[in-house]
Amino acid sequence: MAHDAGTGAALTGMVDSLMQEVARALTALAETGTRAAIDLRSLPLTPADRDQLAARLGRGEVAATLDVGGRTEVWETAYAGVWWQRHLGAGDHVAGETLEITPLPDILQSHADDIAAAALRLARDLHDTKETADA
Amino acid sequence: MPDTGQDRPTLGDSLAARGISRRSLLKYAGYLAGLMALPPMASRAMAEALAGAGRQSVIWLSFQECTGCVESLTRSFSPTIEDMIFNLISLDYSETLMAASGTAAEEARLAAMEANKGKFILVVDGSVSTRDDGIYSTNAGKTNLAVLKETAAEAAAVISVGTCAAFGGIPAARPNPTGAVPVSEIVTDKPVVNISGCPPIPDAIAGTIAYFITFGKLPELDHLNRPRAFFGDSIHDRCYRRPYYDKGLFAKSFDDEGARNGWCLYEVGCKGPVTYNACATLKWNGGVSFPIQSGHGCLGCSEPGFWDQGGFYKPLSASVMGNNAVLGGAAAAGLVAGAASVAMARRRRAAAMAAASKPGETK
Ligand code: SF4
Repeated sequence: MAHDAGTGAALTGMVDSLMQEVARALTALAETGTRAAIDLRSLPLTPADRDQLAARLGRGEVAATLDVGGRTEVWETAYAGVWWQRHLGAGDHVAGETLEITPLPDILQSHADDIAAAALRLARDLHDTKETADA
Repeated sequence: MPDTGQDRPTLGDSLAARGISRRSLLKYAGYLAGLMALPPMASRAMAEALAGAGRQSVIWLSFQECTGCVESLTRSFSPTIEDMIFNLISLDYSETLMAASGTAAEEARLAAMEANKGKFILVVDGSVSTRDDGIYSTNAGKTNLAVLKETAAEAAAVISVGTCAAFGGIPAARPNPTGAVPVSEIVTDKPVVNISGCPPIPDAIAGTIAYFITFGKLPELDHLNRPRAFFGDSIHDRCYRRPYYDKGLFAKSFDDEGARNGWCLYEVGCKGPVTYNACATLKWNGGVSFPIQSGHGCLGCSEPGFWDQGGFYKPLSASVMGNNAVLGGAAAAGLVAGAASVAMARRRRAAAMAAASKPGETK
């Protein structure tokens, strides 16, 4: 589309410095367990930069799609401990996108409160089932 | 953390009761952190803070307005992450959205004010009529002016949503028959945040309210009391047509070769260089587009007095500076002269605004 001419299809070289930042964060995670996150939406990455970043980080063993107030996609990159997390909002536009340098992104874990609520619900369901069977 | 009502359950509890997992809060906190340029690692702590907070009581008053601001916030395709704001707040009064009407509605406002004295957020869209004691805009037999004073007196903070509430907007445009003024001219003893725009970007409305709930304070504001996170950059700073501006490549009309090639819209009236808002980054309609991407210059709708700036289709230098020749030179010379012309336009506009009578006065 003509209007999109000049939106920045070229490589800016930003991915080189971003990869250095990821490497530093991953070393810190390996040595001290310090977790980090990089907000990709706050960086002026061109579409070409984004493709280059995705290619250089590659894909790892894990990919998940979550249905949480719209879709969220999370995948581990080819570097263990480096996760790509993409939240989609209205109309499937990207509402948030981060690189998470962590053993496991928080959003993949079940929260303690949700676990407690689920335990109660399951106990109640079992109780109801038993009552129905006894009746 | 604002205490938002003694008998209200925490947000975590009320979400759990509706089968909404904590992941939703985490996702929303991440989304907010991105919007408000907060450190991405803050989202976990923000999610925990939100879970422990009560639902924030909000009273929403609509005065001299067109309802576009309410539409902006409510028009989305659920369920999306943007909708989460409605789980965080208790919208205790909104004439546009509430089911109650008449006396019952007015009682709801007074009851909410009483129950959340000093703790509720007052959101206002629309300007306030002041001429002849405000009789040109009334509701339930009371002037907007009186209702604003009465309600704001008990609020924790006021958020002026839209350019009419923030700066007077279209009702205050010449000749301003109702003596319309912005909310900040009436409410002077409470923090008043301006989320300007005609309408404002929904993320800016929701983000500001959610920030208050999470941190118990208002976000950092600019000199016009707008949250810097959304109004820190000009449209021009973030415009994808900027490389054409820098090269001096301008559309001269809406159907010429320049327009077809997507060149800069400065010469057909774009006010992007003096307009501060997040349209170029957050965009509209679920991130689909924004006016410049759709081929029209920025109208400058988030700036004070945008309606009376001399014409939407006149270049900035003509509309603000009244000197087309300067623009011609700037356009031809590209970046350096262009930047100088923008700087001059800004100064000139500031001077013009200062010299002009305040929005509330009839011109
Ligand atoms: S003048 Fe308008 S169209 Fe041109 S670069 Fe600036 S904001 Fe974009």
